Amino acid sequence: MADGPRLTYASCLILQALAIGQIYGYLVMDVTGLPSGTVYPALRRLEREQLIQSRWERQSIADAALRPARKYFNLTRAGKSALEASLKRYPLLAQLVPSEEVQDI
Amino acid sequence: MTNKWLQSLAIHLASLLAPCEERAEWLEWWCSELWYVSSRQATRFCLGAFRDAFWLRQNGSNLVKQTGRRLRSPFACVAAFGSLSGASILITNRLERMLPFRVTDGMSAAGGIADMVFFYLVLAVTAFIIKDSPGNRRPMPRPGTARSWVFLCLKIGLVLPILQCTIVAVVVVNVPPLSLVFYAACVLLFRWIFTDQRRRCPVCLRLLTDPIRIGTPSQTFLQWYGAESMCARGHGLLHSPEISASYFPEHKWLDLDDSWRALRSAGAEFQ
Repeated sequence: MADGPRLTYASCLILQALAIGQIYGYLVMDVTGLPSGTVYPALRRLEREQLIQSRWERQSIADAALRPARKYFNLTRAGKSALEASLKRYPLLAQLVPSEEVQDI
Repeated sequence: MTNKWLQSLAIHLASLLAPCEERAEWLEWWCSELWYVSSRQATRFCLGAFRDAFWLRQNGSNLVKQTGRRLRSPFACVAAFGSLSGASILITNRLERMLPFRVTDGMSAAGGIADMVFFYLVLAVTAFIIKDSPGNRRPMPRPGTARSWVFLCLKIGLVLPILQCTIVAVVVVNVPPLSLVFYAACVLLFRWIFTDQRRRCPVCLRLLTDPIRIGTPSQTFLQWYGAESMCARGHGLLHSPEISASYFPEHKWLDLDDSWRALRSAGAEFQ
């Protein structure tokens, strides 16, 4: 029996995107190319399985940037382990998502 | 969908699918994300909101899980059924006052319903009987078996007022195919009763949990394809074949005897 939660390919792609750093939902969509109906439920599922964690940014930062507050996601330690395992399972995954830091939109 | 107002309307409509207690946070998140979406991608983005809200309703509602957990116990199930029956009797009495005649006097309710009960019992009896697995060291204990039959009879007895209420409601509403509606209600209710009976531990009558699929449908030679559920209190495992075969034609109960005690401590649930 495999250790840890079983991940779909889309979930692995999202974890790979989150490995870039703290990013928010729309940026995950932009980086992975997955639709919103896939990304947002997957983010919820991954957070429930404690592979990622979320936090809302401070309203003052959002107000200063003249935009709504963002909900950022980042990998947990378990998420990093799961990502390493998934990269062994899907070796091409590393090539699908850019590893360089994503420019702020 | 180029109009921002339409996009916002779509998101708000989708939010109606989200559970009430999580709707505010859901709406805040999606409205925040919508700000970044270009008009070209807005339609596809907003359609995804419906899927996310529906997913949250299916997987996020604690109320559904709590209700399911409460009905695991046989007493809770009987209590819920009893409440429904009581409500059905009250509704039947109220509805009959709206009619110039008493529906329940006009038909031989006991005779007709008894025929139906017997008919469906005969039809369904082979579907819910659970056999002992060949691996059992001891047969199913007699009190557990008797308790199971009592529980089944209680459920059937409590469903009769619900069926009666259905008949009266159909007469009041004046739906033409009365017998069809009655038969449909009978089939659905009795099917649920027998399916519920099959999904319960024969020893403690609690709902079995943690179903897992075993095998694949294309590989049934020398293997079986079905599901295994377990009793949370560690009484045993139920093996249900998806495809009946000569070597595994029906549901089988594998009793976990005292040799399994090391895996479960007193008073703790078997996880």
